[in-house]
Amino acid sequence: MNNNTPSQLSRRNILRSGGAIVASGAVLAACGGGQHSGAIARIGSVPEIKKLETEHVTDVALLRTAMSVEKMVAVMLSDSRVTSLAESSVSPFIAKYAAAHETNLSVIAPLVTARGGQAVTEPNAKLMTAYGDNALTLVEAGKSPEDVLHLTLGLESLVAATYQYFVSLTNEAALRADMMRLGAASSRRAAVAAQLIRGGTVGFSPAINKKGEELIATLPTAFGTLSAVQVLLGPVNEVGTRAPLAMDTPSLNSMIY
Amino acid sequence: MVNRQVDLPEATTSRRRLIASLLAGGAVAATAPFLAGNASAADDSGPSTTAPPHRDSADNPTLNAALDRESRMAATYALAVGSAKGDDKAALLLVHDHHVAYAQALKGYLATTASSASTQPLANPSGSVAAMARQLAALEEETVAIHTSNLASLRGINAASLVASIITVEARHVAALNIIAGTSPIAVA
Repeated sequence: MNNNTPSQLSRRNILRSGGAIVASGAVLAACGGGQHSGAIARIGSVPEIKKLETEHVTDVALLRTAMSVEKMVAVMLSDSRVTSLAESSVSPFIAKYAAAHETNLSVIAPLVTARGGQAVTEPNAKLMTAYGDNALTLVEAGKSPEDVLHLTLGLESLVAATYQYFVSLTNEAALRADMMRLGAASSRRAAVAAQLIRGGTVGFSPAINKKGEELIATLPTAFGTLSAVQVLLGPVNEVGTRAPLAMDTPSLNSMIY
Repeated sequence: MVNRQVDLPEATTSRRRLIASLLAGGAVAATAPFLAGNASAADDSGPSTTAPPHRDSADNPTLNAALDRESRMAATYALAVGSAKGDDKAALLLVHDHHVAYAQALKGYLATTASSASTQPLANPSGSVAAMARQLAALEEETVAIHTSNLASLRGINAASLVASIITVEARHVAALNIIAGTSPIAVA
Protein backbone atom coordinates (compact mmCIF):
# COMPACT_ATOMS: atom_id res chain seq x y z
CA MET A 1 0.00 0.00 0.00
CA ASN A 2 1.31 3.32 -0.92
CA ASN A 3 0.00 6.39 0.83
CA ASN A 4 1.75 8.97 -1.33
CA THR A 5 -0.45 11.73 -2.70
CA PRO A 6 -0.54 11.47 -6.48
CA SER A 7 1.59 14.21 -8.00
CA GLN A 8 0.31 16.51 -10.70
CA LEU A 9 3.61 16.02 -12.48
CA SER A 10 3.36 12.42 -13.49
CA ARG A 11 5.91 10.86 -15.83
CA ARG A 12 3.28 10.55 -18.48
CA ASN A 13 2.44 14.26 -18.22
CA ILE A 14 6.09 15.28 -18.46
CA LEU A 15 6.67 13.12 -21.52
CA ARG A 16 3.53 14.40 -23.12
CA SER A 17 4.40 18.08 -22.49
CA GLY A 18 8.00 17.52 -23.57
CA GLY A 19 6.85 15.94 -26.80
CA ALA A 20 4.53 18.85 -27.45
CA ILE A 21 7.35 21.36 -26.91
CA VAL A 22 9.70 19.49 -29.22
CA ALA A 23 7.03 19.25 -31.89
CA SER A 24 6.24 22.99 -31.62
CA GLY A 25 9.95 23.78 -31.82
CA ALA A 26 10.28 21.71 -34.97
CA VAL A 27 7.32 23.50 -36.56
CA LEU A 28 8.71 26.93 -35.62
CA ALA A 29 12.20 26.05 -36.87
CA ALA A 30 10.75 24.86 -40.16
CA CYS A 31 8.69 28.05 -40.56
CA GLY A 32 11.57 30.42 -39.83
CA GLY A 33 15.01 30.68 -41.34
CA GLY A 34 14.09 31.76 -44.81
CA GLN A 35 17.67 32.85 -45.30
CA HIS A 36 18.89 29.23 -45.22
CA SER A 37 17.97 28.63 -48.80
CA GLY A 38 17.61 25.02 -49.67
CA ALA A 39 18.64 23.71 -46.25
CA ILE A 40 16.19 21.70 -44.23
CA ALA A 41 15.82 23.44 -40.90
CA ARG A 42 16.16 21.30 -37.85
CA ILE A 43 16.48 21.79 -34.14
CA GLY A 44 20.03 22.52 -33.01
CA SER A 45 21.30 23.20 -36.50
CA VAL A 46 24.31 25.51 -36.62
CA PRO A 47 25.95 27.27 -39.54
CA GLU A 48 28.54 25.10 -41.19
CA ILE A 49 32.01 25.98 -39.88
CA LYS A 50 34.72 26.21 -42.49
CA LYS A 51 37.57 23.97 -41.43
CA LEU A 52 40.87 25.78 -40.97
CA GLU A 53 43.68 24.74 -43.23
CA THR A 54 46.26 22.51 -41.58
CA GLU A 55 49.62 24.25 -41.62
CA HIS A 56 52.95 22.62 -40.89
CA VAL A 57 55.93 24.25 -39.21
CA THR A 58 58.43 23.23 -41.86
CA ASP A 59 62.01 24.41 -42.19
CA VAL A 60 60.88 26.65 -45.04
CA ALA A 61 58.18 28.21 -42.82
CA LEU A 62 60.81 28.89 -40.14
CA LEU A 63 63.20 30.47 -42.64
CA ARG A 64 60.42 32.59 -44.12
CA THR A 65 59.41 33.70 -40.64
CA ALA A 66 63.03 34.52 -39.81
CA MET A 67 63.12 36.70 -42.93
CA SER A 68 59.98 38.53 -41.82
CA VAL A 69 61.52 39.19 -38.40
CA GLU A 70 64.81 40.40 -39.92
CA LYS A 71 62.85 42.73 -42.21
CA MET A 72 60.74 43.98 -39.31
CA VAL A 73 63.83 44.87 -37.27
CA ALA A 74 65.48 46.56 -40.28
CA VAL A 75 62.33 48.62 -40.89
CA MET A 76 61.97 49.59 -37.22
CA LEU A 77 65.60 50.64 -36.88
CA SER A 78 65.33 52.70 -40.08
CA ASP A 79 62.08 54.36 -39.03
CA SER A 80 62.32 58.14 -38.87
CA ARG A 81 60.83 58.14 -35.37
CA VAL A 82 63.92 56.20 -34.23
CA THR A 83 66.62 57.71 -36.42
CA SER A 84 65.54 61.29 -35.70
CA LEU A 85 65.92 60.71 -31.95
CA ALA A 86 69.28 58.91 -32.09
CA GLU A 87 72.27 60.85 -30.84
CA SER A 88 75.15 61.34 -33.26
CA SER A 89 77.26 58.80 -31.35
CA VAL A 90 74.51 56.19 -31.65
CA SER A 91 73.36 56.80 -35.24
CA PRO A 92 76.21 54.80 -36.86
CA PHE A 93 75.27 51.77 -34.76
CA ILE A 94 71.60 51.96 -35.70
CA ALA A 95 72.46 52.34 -39.38
CA LYS A 96 74.92 49.42 -39.23
CA TYR A 97 72.45 47.18 -37.43
CA ALA A 98 69.64 47.95 -39.89
CA ALA A 99 71.97 47.23 -42.80
CA ALA A 100 73.04 43.94 -41.20
CA HIS A 101 69.43 42.78 -40.98
CA GLU A 102 68.84 43.70 -44.63
CA THR A 103 71.96 41.71 -45.52
CA ASN A 104 70.64 38.73 -43.58
CA LEU A 105 67.63 38.67 -45.90
CA SER A 106 69.93 37.95 -48.80
CA VAL A 107 71.67 35.26 -46.74
CA ILE A 108 68.40 33.47 -45.92
CA ALA A 109 66.67 33.91 -49.30
CA PRO A 110 68.76 31.24 -51.11
CA LEU A 111 68.11 28.82 -48.24
CA VAL A 112 64.37 29.31 -48.77
CA THR A 113 64.38 29.04 -52.54
CA ALA A 114 66.68 26.00 -52.47
CA ARG A 115 63.95 24.25 -50.49
CA GLY A 116 61.17 25.21 -52.86
CA GLY A 117 59.89 28.16 -50.83
CA GLN A 118 59.36 31.78 -51.69
CA ALA A 119 61.49 34.46 -50.05
CA VAL A 120 59.76 37.03 -47.83
CA THR A 121 60.41 40.71 -48.29
CA GLU A 122 57.80 42.19 -45.95
CA PRO A 123 57.98 42.74 -42.18
CA ASN A 124 56.03 40.30 -40.03
CA ALA A 125 52.57 41.92 -39.96
CA LYS A 126 51.35 40.02 -36.89
CA LEU A 127 54.37 41.01 -34.80
CA MET A 128 54.18 44.61 -36.02
CA THR A 129 50.58 44.71 -34.82
CA ALA A 130 51.40 42.91 -31.58
CA TYR A 131 54.26 45.17 -30.49
CA GLY A 132 56.25 46.70 -33.38
CA ASP A 133 53.90 49.61 -34.04
CA ASN A 134 53.42 50.18 -30.30
CA ALA A 135 57.17 50.37 -29.79
CA LEU A 136 57.57 53.01 -32.48
CA THR A 137 54.62 55.01 -31.12
CA LEU A 138 56.11 54.91 -27.62
CA VAL A 139 59.54 56.00 -28.87
CA GLU A 140 57.93 58.92 -30.69
CA ALA A 141 55.87 59.92 -27.65
CA GLY A 142 58.78 59.58 -25.22
CA LYS A 143 61.11 61.85 -27.20
CA SER A 144 63.99 60.37 -25.24
CA PRO A 145 67.25 59.53 -27.08
CA GLU A 146 67.82 56.76 -24.51
CA ASP A 147 64.86 54.88 -25.95
CA VAL A 148 66.72 54.35 -29.21
CA LEU A 149 69.38 52.20 -27.57
CA HIS A 150 66.85 50.41 -25.37
CA LEU A 151 64.74 49.54 -28.40
CA THR A 152 67.84 48.42 -30.30
CA LEU A 153 68.93 46.18 -27.44
CA GLY A 154 65.44 44.70 -27.24
CA LEU A 155 65.19 44.04 -30.97
CA GLU A 156 68.63 42.41 -31.21
CA SER A 157 67.85 40.23 -28.19
CA LEU A 158 64.56 39.30 -29.86
CA VAL A 159 66.27 38.23 -33.09
CA ALA A 160 68.83 36.17 -31.16
CA ALA A 161 66.06 34.49 -29.14
CA THR A 162 64.08 33.83 -32.34
CA TYR A 163 66.93 31.87 -33.93
CA GLN A 164 67.62 30.05 -30.69
CA TYR A 165 63.96 29.04 -30.49
CA PHE A 166 63.88 27.97 -34.12
CA VAL A 167 66.73 25.51 -33.49
CA SER A 168 64.30 23.44 -31.45
CA LEU A 169 61.83 23.36 -34.38
CA THR A 170 64.21 22.88 -37.29
CA ASN A 171 64.36 19.49 -38.92
CA GLU A 172 67.59 19.82 -40.87
CA ALA A 173 70.66 19.88 -38.60
CA ALA A 174 72.76 21.96 -41.00
CA LEU A 175 70.11 24.67 -40.99
CA ARG A 176 70.27 24.91 -37.21
CA ALA A 177 73.93 25.91 -37.49
CA ASP A 178 73.12 28.46 -40.20
CA MET A 179 70.40 29.97 -38.03
CA MET A 180 72.63 30.19 -34.97
CA ARG A 181 75.34 31.98 -36.97
CA LEU A 182 72.78 34.72 -37.58
CA GLY A 183 71.52 34.51 -34.01
CA ALA A 184 75.03 34.82 -32.57
CA ALA A 185 75.62 37.95 -34.66
CA SER A 186 72.47 39.49 -33.17
CA SER A 187 73.64 38.47 -29.70
CA ARG A 188 76.89 40.35 -30.24
CA ARG A 189 75.02 43.42 -31.42
CA ALA A 190 72.82 43.19 -28.32
CA ALA A 191 75.91 43.05 -26.10
CA VAL A 192 77.36 46.13 -27.81
CA ALA A 193 74.08 48.02 -27.33
CA ALA A 194 74.07 47.02 -23.66
CA GLN A 195 77.65 48.23 -23.28
CA LEU A 196 76.71 51.56 -24.90
CA ILE A 197 73.99 51.95 -22.25
CA ARG A 198 76.02 50.73 -19.27
CA GLY A 199 79.64 50.28 -20.22
CA GLY A 200 82.68 48.63 -18.65
CA THR A 201 83.03 45.43 -16.67
CA VAL A 202 80.60 46.87 -14.10
CA GLY A 203 77.92 46.61 -16.79
CA PHE A 204 78.35 42.86 -17.20
CA SER A 205 76.23 41.87 -14.19
CA PRO A 206 72.60 42.68 -13.45
CA ALA A 207 72.19 45.40 -10.79
CA ILE A 208 69.67 47.94 -9.51
CA ASN A 209 70.01 51.69 -9.01
CA LYS A 210 69.24 53.73 -5.88
CA LYS A 211 65.57 53.90 -6.84
CA GLY A 212 65.44 50.12 -6.99
CA GLU A 213 65.11 50.05 -10.78
CA GLU A 214 66.77 47.27 -12.71
CA LEU A 215 69.80 48.37 -14.73
CA ILE A 216 70.74 47.06 -18.16
CA ALA A 217 73.23 44.18 -18.01
CA THR A 218 75.41 42.95 -20.85
CA LEU A 219 75.26 39.38 -19.52
CA PRO A 220 71.90 39.13 -17.73
CA THR A 221 71.68 35.32 -17.82
CA ALA A 222 73.99 32.34 -18.20
CA PHE A 223 71.86 30.70 -20.89
CA GLY A 224 69.91 32.31 -23.71
CA THR A 225 66.32 32.74 -22.66
CA LEU A 226 63.16 32.33 -24.72
CA SER A 227 60.89 34.45 -22.55
CA ALA A 228 59.46 37.73 -23.84
CA VAL A 229 62.00 40.53 -24.19
CA GLN A 230 60.91 43.40 -21.92
CA VAL A 231 61.75 46.97 -22.94
CA LEU A 232 60.87 50.15 -21.07
CA LEU A 233 59.91 52.82 -23.59
CA GLY A 234 57.94 56.03 -23.92
CA PRO A 235 57.07 58.96 -21.69
CA VAL A 236 57.38 58.75 -17.93
CA ASN A 237 53.93 58.32 -16.41
CA GLU A 238 52.49 59.89 -13.24
CA VAL A 239 54.12 57.23 -11.03
CA GLY A 240 57.52 57.94 -12.51
CA THR A 241 57.85 54.74 -14.54
CA ARG A 242 57.67 53.93 -18.24
CA ALA A 243 55.55 51.46 -20.14
CA PRO A 244 57.06 47.97 -20.26
CA LEU A 245 56.67 46.49 -23.72
CA ALA A 246 56.92 42.70 -24.07
CA MET A 247 58.28 41.45 -27.38
CA ASP A 248 57.75 37.75 -28.00
CA THR A 249 59.48 35.49 -30.47
CA PRO A 250 57.24 34.36 -33.35
CA SER A 251 54.73 31.69 -32.46
CA LEU A 252 52.40 29.47 -34.47
CA ASN A 253 50.02 32.35 -35.19
CA SER A 254 52.73 34.72 -36.39
CA MET A 255 54.71 32.36 -38.59
CA ILE A 256 54.83 32.84 -42.34
CA TYR A 257 53.78 29.44 -43.71
CA MET B 1 -3.84 4.60 -3.94
CA VAL B 2 -2.06 1.49 -5.08
CA ASN B 3 0.84 1.73 -7.46
CA ARG B 4 1.21 -1.22 -9.74
CA GLN B 5 4.28 -2.13 -11.67
CA VAL B 6 3.34 -3.12 -15.18
CA ASP B 7 5.78 -5.37 -16.99
CA LEU B 8 5.86 -4.37 -20.58
CA PRO B 9 6.47 -6.94 -23.27
CA GLU B 10 10.06 -7.29 -24.48
CA ALA B 11 9.24 -5.72 -27.82
CA THR B 12 8.27 -2.37 -26.31
CA THR B 13 10.83 0.21 -25.17
CA SER B 14 11.58 -0.23 -21.49
CA ARG B 15 13.37 2.45 -19.43
CA ARG B 16 16.36 0.13 -18.99
CA ARG B 17 16.63 -0.37 -22.73
CA LEU B 18 16.29 3.35 -23.34
CA ILE B 19 19.12 4.17 -20.89
CA ALA B 20 21.31 1.44 -22.37
CA SER B 21 20.72 2.81 -25.87
CA LEU B 22 21.51 6.33 -24.74
CA LEU B 23 24.76 5.17 -23.11
CA ALA B 24 25.76 3.30 -26.24
CA GLY B 25 24.91 6.33 -28.37
CA GLY B 26 26.93 8.59 -26.05
CA ALA B 27 29.93 6.30 -26.28
CA VAL B 28 29.78 6.36 -30.07
CA ALA B 29 29.42 10.15 -30.06
CA ALA B 30 32.39 10.51 -27.70
CA THR B 31 34.69 8.33 -29.79
CA ALA B 32 33.63 9.81 -33.10
CA PRO B 33 35.93 12.87 -32.94
CA PHE B 34 38.92 10.65 -32.22
CA LEU B 35 38.06 8.35 -35.08
CA ALA B 36 37.49 11.37 -37.30
CA GLY B 37 40.79 12.90 -36.13
CA ASN B 38 42.66 9.75 -37.07
CA ALA B 39 40.99 9.72 -40.40
CA SER B 40 41.89 13.32 -41.15
CA ALA B 41 45.45 12.73 -39.95
CA ALA B 42 45.72 9.90 -42.41
CA ASP B 43 44.34 12.15 -45.11
CA ASP B 44 46.77 15.02 -44.35
CA SER B 45 48.80 15.88 -47.36
CA GLY B 46 51.52 17.72 -45.43
CA PRO B 47 55.23 17.14 -45.79
CA SER B 48 56.28 13.63 -44.95
CA THR B 49 59.53 14.55 -43.21
CA THR B 50 60.74 12.42 -40.34
CA ALA B 51 60.80 14.36 -37.09
CA PRO B 52 64.26 14.52 -35.51
CA PRO B 53 64.72 12.56 -32.27
CA HIS B 54 64.71 14.29 -28.90
CA ARG B 55 67.86 12.42 -27.89
CA ASP B 56 70.37 10.44 -29.86
CA SER B 57 73.29 8.53 -28.39
CA ALA B 58 75.25 9.31 -31.56
CA ASP B 59 75.55 12.88 -30.21
CA ASN B 60 77.45 11.78 -27.10
CA PRO B 61 81.02 12.12 -28.45
CA THR B 62 80.29 15.67 -29.71
CA LEU B 63 78.66 16.62 -26.42
CA ASN B 64 81.56 15.15 -24.45
CA ALA B 65 83.93 17.27 -26.52
CA ALA B 66 81.76 20.33 -25.75
CA LEU B 67 81.85 19.42 -22.06
CA ASP B 68 85.63 19.19 -22.20
CA ARG B 69 85.86 22.59 -23.89
CA GLU B 70 83.60 24.28 -21.34
CA SER B 71 85.47 22.70 -18.45
CA ARG B 72 88.75 24.02 -19.82
CA MET B 73 87.21 27.46 -20.40
CA ALA B 74 86.14 27.55 -16.76
CA ALA B 75 89.68 26.60 -15.69
CA THR B 76 91.08 29.41 -17.85
CA TYR B 77 88.73 31.98 -16.32
CA ALA B 78 89.67 30.77 -12.85
CA LEU B 79 93.25 31.88 -13.56
CA ALA B 80 92.04 35.24 -14.90
CA VAL B 81 89.83 35.83 -11.85
CA GLY B 82 92.87 35.28 -9.63
CA SER B 83 94.74 38.09 -11.39
CA ALA B 84 91.89 40.64 -11.50
CA LYS B 85 90.53 43.11 -8.94
CA GLY B 86 87.32 44.98 -8.12
CA ASP B 87 84.64 45.18 -10.80
CA ASP B 88 86.91 43.42 -13.29
CA LYS B 89 87.24 40.45 -10.94
CA ALA B 90 83.46 40.33 -10.42
CA ALA B 91 82.85 40.45 -14.18
CA LEU B 92 85.36 37.69 -14.93
CA LEU B 93 83.93 35.61 -12.10
CA LEU B 94 80.47 36.00 -13.66
CA VAL B 95 81.71 34.69 -17.01
CA HIS B 96 83.61 31.91 -15.21
CA ASP B 97 80.38 30.89 -13.52
CA HIS B 98 78.61 30.81 -16.87
CA HIS B 99 81.15 28.30 -18.19
CA VAL B 100 80.83 26.22 -15.05
CA ALA B 101 77.06 26.21 -15.62
CA TYR B 102 77.55 25.08 -19.24
CA ALA B 103 79.83 22.24 -18.17
CA GLN B 104 77.34 21.19 -15.51
CA ALA B 105 74.42 21.33 -17.96
CA LEU B 106 76.26 19.21 -20.52
CA LYS B 107 77.34 16.77 -17.82
CA GLY B 108 73.78 16.57 -16.56
CA TYR B 109 72.50 15.93 -20.07
CA LEU B 110 75.07 13.20 -20.73
CA ALA B 111 74.55 11.69 -17.25
CA THR B 112 76.23 8.30 -17.09
CA THR B 113 77.68 8.68 -20.57
CA ALA B 114 79.65 11.81 -19.58
CA SER B 115 83.39 11.30 -19.76
CA SER B 116 85.75 12.91 -17.27
CA ALA B 117 86.40 16.42 -18.59
CA SER B 118 89.83 18.00 -18.59
CA THR B 119 90.48 20.88 -16.21
CA GLN B 120 93.58 21.99 -18.09
CA PRO B 121 93.35 25.76 -18.84
CA LEU B 122 93.38 26.72 -22.50
CA ALA B 123 95.66 29.71 -21.77
CA ASN B 124 97.19 31.59 -18.90
CA PRO B 125 95.63 35.07 -19.08
CA SER B 126 97.85 37.69 -17.53
CA GLY B 127 98.58 41.41 -17.52
CA SER B 128 95.99 44.18 -17.51
CA VAL B 129 92.28 43.43 -17.68
CA ALA B 130 92.33 44.63 -21.30
CA ALA B 131 95.11 42.18 -22.15
CA MET B 132 93.31 39.31 -20.41
CA ALA B 133 90.04 40.25 -22.09
CA ARG B 134 91.70 40.09 -25.52
CA GLN B 135 92.95 36.54 -24.86
CA LEU B 136 89.63 35.45 -23.41
CA ALA B 137 87.64 37.00 -26.27
CA ALA B 138 89.68 34.99 -28.76
CA LEU B 139 88.98 31.79 -26.81
CA GLU B 140 85.27 32.63 -26.60
CA GLU B 141 85.20 33.26 -30.35
CA GLU B 142 86.77 29.86 -30.91
CA THR B 143 84.28 28.18 -28.56
CA VAL B 144 81.30 29.76 -30.31
CA ALA B 145 82.66 28.54 -33.65
CA ILE B 146 83.13 25.00 -32.30
CA HIS B 147 79.61 24.82 -30.84
CA THR B 148 78.02 26.30 -33.97
CA SER B 149 79.86 23.85 -36.17
CA ASN B 150 78.76 21.00 -33.90
CA LEU B 151 75.12 22.05 -34.28
CA ALA B 152 75.25 20.92 -37.88
CA SER B 153 75.93 17.36 -36.77
CA LEU B 154 73.86 17.06 -33.60
CA ARG B 155 70.83 14.89 -34.26
CA GLY B 156 68.93 15.20 -30.98
CA ILE B 157 66.72 18.27 -30.67
CA ASN B 158 67.28 18.57 -26.92
CA ALA B 159 71.05 18.61 -27.28
CA ALA B 160 70.84 21.13 -30.13
CA SER B 161 68.59 23.39 -28.03
CA LEU B 162 71.02 23.26 -25.09
CA VAL B 163 74.00 24.10 -27.28
CA ALA B 164 72.04 26.91 -28.97
CA SER B 165 71.24 28.48 -25.59
CA ILE B 166 74.97 28.39 -24.76
CA ILE B 167 75.96 29.96 -28.10
CA THR B 168 73.52 32.86 -27.58
CA VAL B 169 75.29 34.00 -24.41
CA GLU B 170 78.84 33.09 -25.43
CA ALA B 171 78.41 35.38 -28.44
CA ARG B 172 77.67 38.14 -25.94
CA HIS B 173 80.85 37.19 -24.05
CA VAL B 174 82.87 37.72 -27.25
CA ALA B 175 81.46 41.20 -27.88
CA ALA B 176 81.68 42.36 -24.27
CA LEU B 177 85.26 41.14 -23.80
CA ASN B 178 86.37 42.67 -27.09
CA ILE B 179 85.06 46.05 -25.94
CA ILE B 180 86.90 45.67 -22.62
CA ALA B 181 90.00 44.74 -24.64
CA GLY B 182 89.78 48.15 -26.29
CA THR B 183 88.27 47.25 -29.66
CA SER B 184 85.99 49.96 -31.02
CA PRO B 185 82.35 49.04 -30.29
CA ILE B 186 81.34 49.82 -33.89
CA ALA B 187 83.92 47.31 -35.08
CA VAL B 188 82.63 44.69 -32.64
CA ALA B 189 78.97 45.17 -33.65
